[in-house]
Amino acid sequence: MKIGNTDITPTKIICLGRNYSEHAKEFNATVPTEPVFFVKTINSIITNGKPIIYPRILYENEKFNRVDHEVELAFILSKKCKKISPENAFDYIQGYSIFLDITARKMQIYDRNKNLPWYRSKNFDTFSVIGPQIVPLNEIKDPHNLNIELQINEKVKQSSNTKHMIFKIPRIMEYISSFLTLERGDIIATGTPSGVGPIQPGDIVEASIEKIGKIRHEVIIEE
Amino acid sequence: MIKIGDITLKPTKIICLGTNYMDHIEETGLGIPKEPLLFPKTLNCLITNNQPIVYPKYLYNNRRYNRMDFEVELAFIVKDKCKNISAEDVYDHILGYTVFNDVTARKMQTKDIISQKPWFRSKSFDTFGPIGPVIKIIDEIRDPHNLDIELKVNNEIKQSSNTKYLLFKIPETFEYITKLFTMEPGDIIATGTPGGIGPVNPGDLIEATIENIGTLTNKVILEGEE
Repeated sequence: MKIGNTDITPTKIICLGRNYSEHAKEFNATVPTEPVFFVKTINSIITNGKPIIYPRILYENEKFNRVDHEVELAFILSKKCKKISPENAFDYIQGYSIFLDITARKMQIYDRNKNLPWYRSKNFDTFSVIGPQIVPLNEIKDPHNLNIELQINEKVKQSSNTKHMIFKIPRIMEYISSFLTLERGDIIATGTPSGVGPIQPGDIVEASIEKIGKIRHEVIIEE
Repeated sequence: MIKIGDITLKPTKIICLGTNYMDHIEETGLGIPKEPLLFPKTLNCLITNNQPIVYPKYLYNNRRYNRMDFEVELAFIVKDKCKNISAEDVYDHILGYTVFNDVTARKMQTKDIISQKPWFRSKSFDTFGPIGPVIKIIDEIRDPHNLDIELKVNNEIKQSSNTKYLLFKIPETFEYITKLFTMEPGDIIATGTPGGIGPVNPGDLIEATIENIGTLTNKVILEGEE
C-alpha cells in the first residue's frame, strides 16, 4: 500500500475510542481510565483521494442509515515490537498521517446496546482513509500540539488540537504493546475530537492536520 | 505469513463468529443472534500445531483478569479475493478447512462486554489463535456440517459436539460476511464454538480435534517461562 511516497504493509489497524473528553461526552460515554481500543481490518483502507463508498446495505435500511466521519491523528510503526516503555515509544514510530475512521453510527450504537462487538460497523470497504503522506517522525517536533480539522462541503465540522488527547502517544504505545506484538507498517489511530456527524453521498470530506497536510475524498453510493 | 501443514497462507484478517452453537449460547447467557455475530482477531495471535499458548502475566497476576479459556472451532480459509458472494457460490471461494482454538481472556471479555467496550483486547493477545494441524482441501471433506468436534484438556473431554449444530452454516455465514467486507486469499473464518468452554492454566495440554481434519495440540505456558 502506498501512502504518498511511502510503501507500507500493515498487518493491522488499531484505533482508540474516547480519547478526547469532549467526544466521550457527546456519546454519553465515560472518560476512560485506560485506553479503549478496537481493530479495523485491512480491507477497509483507501488512500489518496479515492471515494468513500456508502454501502447500500446501510443506505437502504432505516435502522442503519447513518455513516459518520471521524478525523484522527495516526502514527505508523517502524519495526516489530512488544512491551515498549513510554520513554522509548518514539523509537518505534516511522511517522504520522491523517486518518478517517468512518463509522456506521446507527449500526455501532445498535451493536453496542446489545453488548455485541464493535466490529462490522467500522470495517466496511473504504471506511479507513489514510493520507496524504506519512510525515517522518523527526519532521514533527511535538505531535501533541497540532491543529486537527475536518470539513464537509467546506463547512467546519470538527476542529481541535491534538493537545486535547487524553492518552498521549507514549502511553498509547506502552498500553497497546503490552497486549500485542506490533509489526512494521501497523497503523494506530489516536481517536477523534468532538463534532462527529453524518456524511451523505455527494459530500466532499476534507480533513487536515497541521504539518501533515490535507486529504480530500468524495462520498459516493455503492453501485 | 503462516505455514499450516504444507500450506503457506498470507491472511489479512481473521473473522470469528460468536454464539453460533445453541449450547454455547445457553452457557454464555447471550441471546440467539438473528444474523452472524462477527468479531476480529489480529494476526499476531496466530500459532500452529505444537507451539505453546502463552498465558500473559498481565492476566495471570491480576485477580480481575486471571481466567483464560479454550474454544474449539471449525475454521475455513478463503481461496480468492471476493465480495458479495451468494450462498450457492460460497464453496467456489473456499480453499479448505482446519481446526481453530479461539483462546479468550474470559474475565476481561466479560468486563468489556458489560461496559459496552469493544471485545478486541481479550481475544488478540499473542498466541491466542492456534490453528492447524493441516488445511484439508475442500474436496477432501464432503460435508463440513457433519463433523465431530472435540476438545480435551490433559486428556479429559471438555467440549464435544458436531458441526451439524452450527446455527449459521458456512453458505449463510460467508454470504453475510462478503456482503460487508472484501475477503482476501488466506483470510481465516472461524465458525464459533460449541458448549463446554472453560479455563486453562500453565502446564495444561490442549488437544482440539475435528473429524477428518486432525488434532491441534498446544501446551499452555506462563509468559516468561518460554
